[in-house]
Amino acid sequence: MIRTLGAAETAPTTYIGEIRAQELRVRAGRRMAVDGLDLTLGTGVHGLLGPNGAGKTTLMRALATVLRPAGGTLELLGSSLQGRVDLRALRREIGYLPQEFGYYPRFTVREFVEYMAWLKEVPGREVPGAVQRAIERVGLADRADDRMKTLSGGMLRRAGIAQAIVNDPRILLLDEPTVGLDPEQRLDFRELLRDLAADTCVVVSTHLVEDVVAACTDVVLIDAGRLVFQGVPSELERAGDSGGVGDSAAERGYTVLLRQHRGSAEGAR
Amino acid sequence: MTSADEEELVRRTARGDQAAFDELYRRTSPWLAVRLRRRCSDDDVVAEVMQETYLAVWRAADAFAGASVGGSAVGWLWTIAARRLIDAFRRRARLAQVPPAAALAETVPGAEDEALGRLVGDDLGDALRRLAPELRQVLHATVLDGLTVRETAVLLGVPEGTVKTRARRARVALREALS
Amino acid sequence: MTVRGDGAHASGELLERYAAGDAGIGPDTLWALEAHLEACAACRGGLRADVSPGVTSILERVRAGLDIELARTPRAPARRRWLPRSFRWTAPTLLRWLAMTGLVVTVALGFDVANQAVGSHYPSLVLLLAPVAPLLGVAAAWSRRTDPAYELVSATPRAGLYLVLRRTLAVLVAVIPVLAAAGSVVDASPARWLLPCLAFTVATLALGSIVGVPRAAAGLAVTWAVAVVTPSLVTTRPPVVLEPRALPAWAALTAAVVVVLAVRRSGFSRLPSGR
Repeated sequence: MIRTLGAAETAPTTYIGEIRAQELRVRAGRRMAVDGLDLTLGTGVHGLLGPNGAGKTTLMRALATVLRPAGGTLELLGSSLQGRVDLRALRREIGYLPQEFGYYPRFTVREFVEYMAWLKEVPGREVPGAVQRAIERVGLADRADDRMKTLSGGMLRRAGIAQAIVNDPRILLLDEPTVGLDPEQRLDFRELLRDLAADTCVVVSTHLVEDVVAACTDVVLIDAGRLVFQGVPSELERAGDSGGVGDSAAERGYTVLLRQHRGSAEGAR
Repeated sequence: MTSADEEELVRRTARGDQAAFDELYRRTSPWLAVRLRRRCSDDDVVAEVMQETYLAVWRAADAFAGASVGGSAVGWLWTIAARRLIDAFRRRARLAQVPPAAALAETVPGAEDEALGRLVGDDLGDALRRLAPELRQVLHATVLDGLTVRETAVLLGVPEGTVKTRARRARVALREALS
Repeated sequence: MTVRGDGAHASGELLERYAAGDAGIGPDTLWALEAHLEACAACRGGLRADVSPGVTSILERVRAGLDIELARTPRAPARRRWLPRSFRWTAPTLLRWLAMTGLVVTVALGFDVANQAVGSHYPSLVLLLAPVAPLLGVAAAWSRRTDPAYELVSATPRAGLYLVLRRTLAVLVAVIPVLAAAGSVVDASPARWLLPCLAFTVATLALGSIVGVPRAAAGLAVTWAVAVVTPSLVTTRPPVVLEPRALPAWAALTAAVVVVLAVRRSGFSRLPSGR
C-alpha cells in the first residue's frame, strides 16, 4: 500500500525516555497518593511493584493522562503534561487497561475492540485489520464473535489487553493484567510482553512478584508514593540475599528493600 | 480478470463461500509469497505469515469486506501480511533467532525491462538507482510497503533513530536529484 | 511518488526473474514493478509459482495448513453494524433514562389534561418540566455509573467535550420531539420552553465539567423544582421566567454558559480528581 512519508514521522526523537517524571505528585481523593516520584522509563517491560496503597493505580492513571498531576513534572513521549497539552495526539500513542475494567456485556469481543479503536482514532480502513491482529495476539481468535458476558474472567482481561494494543501504542499501561489468567495463559501473556519489549514502553503494575521477574526487563518498586528501587530483576533478587521474608529470591528482595526504605524514611523523620 | 474481482471474492468469502476464498487464495498467493520472500530470507517465516494472513481473512472476512471498499483487496492483503511479518520478526528477535531480512540487492544497472522503466519517471528512476542501498531499503519499507518507522526498525533490525535518519537522508538525496 | 499507469505491463521475463528472487533487478524497476503488481491482476497472474521451487514448496505448505485450519475454524458470523455505531452517539444505558424521561413527560401530560378537563387553573406541568426534561438523559451521557467502561473511555483521544456533545445531541434529538408532541396537546409551545431547555442543557455540561455531570444535572433540576416549579404550582400562576418576554434573558444566559463550557472543555477528558 503506497503511502507518503511525512516529515513529522522522520523527525529525530528528542526525548530520552518515553516516560519521565520528576518530583511527581498526584492526588487521589484527599490523599497525595504519588508524592515526589522521580522516574525515567524507556522501551522495555517495566514491572511496577508495591504494597497496597503505594500509589500504583494512581501513578498508572496519571501516566494514562486520566488524572492531572498536582505537582512536579511529567513528560510523555517528550511532551510535558503541564499547561496546554494536545491530549488527543498524545493519547493516540497510549494504550491503557485499568484495574477495574468495565465492559459492555452485550458487545462481542470484536465489537468492543472496534469501538475502542474508534475512540482511539485508529484510521477507519485500518480498523478491521488492527482489531483482528489485536484479538489474535491475545489468543482470543476463537471467541472473537462471542458476547462478552459469556467470557470467563481471564478472557475478559485478555479482551481488555486487546483493546489496549489495538492502536499499536508506544506506551502501554497495564494495571493488574494477569488477574484471572491461568498459568498457561500467563505464559502466553509473558511472551506477548516480551514481543512488545522491542519497541514499546510497557508498564505492568502487579502484585505478583513472579510475573515481574519472568517477563520484565526492569523492576520499579514504589511505596507510599515514592520510588524505592529501580533496576533489573536480578538486582532485586540479589537484594534478598541479606535476609528478608519470602518463598523466592525476588520476594525476599522485595521485603528487604521495602524494610530498608521504610527504615530510612522513619530515621529521616 | 480485473482487480475488482478480488473485492467481490472477499465479499463472497464473507458470506461463507469457501470456493470464493479458494479462488482468492489461488490468485493472490503466488504474488504474496514472492513479495514476502524478497523481504525475509527464512521460508519458514514466510509460510507462517502467509498462513496467518489467509486465516485472518477467512475468520474476519465480513469485517474486511467493509474496509476493502474504496481500496484494493490486494492492497490491504499486503498490509495484513506485512504486519504479521513484523510480528514474526518480533517473536524471533525475542528468541534471539533474528531472521535475516532479505540481503540488500546489489544493483547491476543495465539489464532493465524497458516497458516498466517508463512507469517511473526517468529522473526519479535515476535518483533511485543512485541512492545508497540502506537508504533505499528504508524508503522501500516505508513508502512502498506502508510500514511505520517503528515497524521498519523491527524489519531491518536497526534502531528507530537510524531508520529516521536514513529516511531523512533519502528524502534530501531524492529532492536534490529531482531539482 | 506516483506510478504512471500508461498501460504498460511487465514482460514475462521480468516477472520470471522477480519470482525467482533475482537480486539483479534494478531498484527503480523493482519499485515500479512492485507498485504495478499491487494494482494489476493480469501481471499478478503472470507470476508463475513453478518458476521457483522455494515458492512452490511454500505454497504447498500453506495450502495444506489452511485446509486443516479452515476445517475447524468457523467463519466469523455477520456482524451487527448498528450496535457499536450507536455507541458513538449514545451512552450504553441511555435508553433506560430516555424511557424514564418519556414516562415523566407522559405523567405530566396526564396531569395537565386532567386539569383542563376539570377546569382548574394550574399552570401546565409539561411547560414547567420541559426545561429540565433532557437533564436526566444528559446526566447519563457522561457518568461513571451509566458507562461501565467510563475510565477506559476517558483515557482515549476522542474522550472529551466532543464525545459528550455528540451524546447530548442524541439526548436532545430524542427528548425534544416528545416534549413538542406533549406540548401541542396542552398548548405549551416549543417557543416558550426550547431556549430554556437548551440553556439548562448547556449549563449542566458547563457545571458538569467542574463537579461532574450527574451532580450538576441533579443540582440544576432540584434548583429549578424548588425555585420555579413549586411556587408556580402553589400559587397556581404561570412562572414569570417562562413568559415570552423573558426569552432574551434566556438567550443571554445560554450564550454565557456556552462561553463557560468552551473555556472549561478540558474538564471532560480527565477523571474528576476526587476519584
